[in-house]
Amino acid sequence: MASMCEATTRALPGAAVIELSGEVDGSAADVLTNAYQSAVGTNADLGTVVLDFAAVDYINSTGIALIVSVLARARAERRKVVASGLSPHYREIFDITRLSDFIELFPDLDGAVSQLTGPAA
Amino acid sequence: MTQVARPAPRRLDAFELPSEPGNERLALARVAETVQGLGLSDSRLEKLKTAVAEATMNAIEHGNQNRAEIPVEVEVTQHGDEIVVAISDQGGEAHPSDGPAEDPDLLKKLDGEQSPRGWGLFLIRNMVDAMDITTNGQRHTIWLTVRTGGAAHGEHV
Repeated sequence: MASMCEATTRALPGAAVIELSGEVDGSAADVLTNAYQSAVGTNADLGTVVLDFAAVDYINSTGIALIVSVLARARAERRKVVASGLSPHYREIFDITRLSDFIELFPDLDGAVSQLTGPAA
Repeated sequence: MTQVARPAPRRLDAFELPSEPGNERLALARVAETVQGLGLSDSRLEKLKTAVAEATMNAIEHGNQNRAEIPVEVEVTQHGDEIVVAISDQGGEAHPSDGPAEDPDLLKKLDGEQSPRGWGLFLIRNMVDAMDITTNGQRHTIWLTVRTGGAAHGEHV
């Protein structure tokens, strides 16, 4: 099944952003794994990975499992994962699954980025 | 003995889907359309959609083993202020998705002590007011009940 998920990555000082769009389900496994790899690259000092879900319209239980796998890998590499742009419904699912205990949630990407990069001088 | 009269159930829709991965999206879209205008809040509708998608995915994968020629059957009925979605497959008693009752434990998953998967039934249970499972021979049915009007426990309105 072709994946309906797309990911673009960009680097910030000390952090990387993965902007997801479409559907985060089982077919998104390669997209998510490759995006994480591309975002992290060889930068061992990269402290935070931002997952932005603003353009995601569907997440299912298999997608939750993929997010768990990304979080597990990030934790093993001592990186923090934060998320932005979740709809109220998916925020609730992050609460129910306890993902929000381990992934700080921001309403939008700008909020996450300004928190990570600090206030403008 | 006095019985409280309940309104007769009203069938709103019934349809079948081939057991092919991805068809859960068709089920959720059609159920969402069917229950439109019945008084479900946006939040409850989103929860029902997630529950229908997860239950249909289980029926396709675990019940009917992705065999397209075996249909997943979906029926939507209204019983007073309750909407009931019944999703049936041919997985029988030993339905793999009914599995162990142990709730997924995120910490164990992060530490590699549990598979990252296994969220389906847990999500369903948390999305609806009631979830029941029945089997009749090979026919396995999951019943999802949501109440219209009012707010569920912990619901943001």
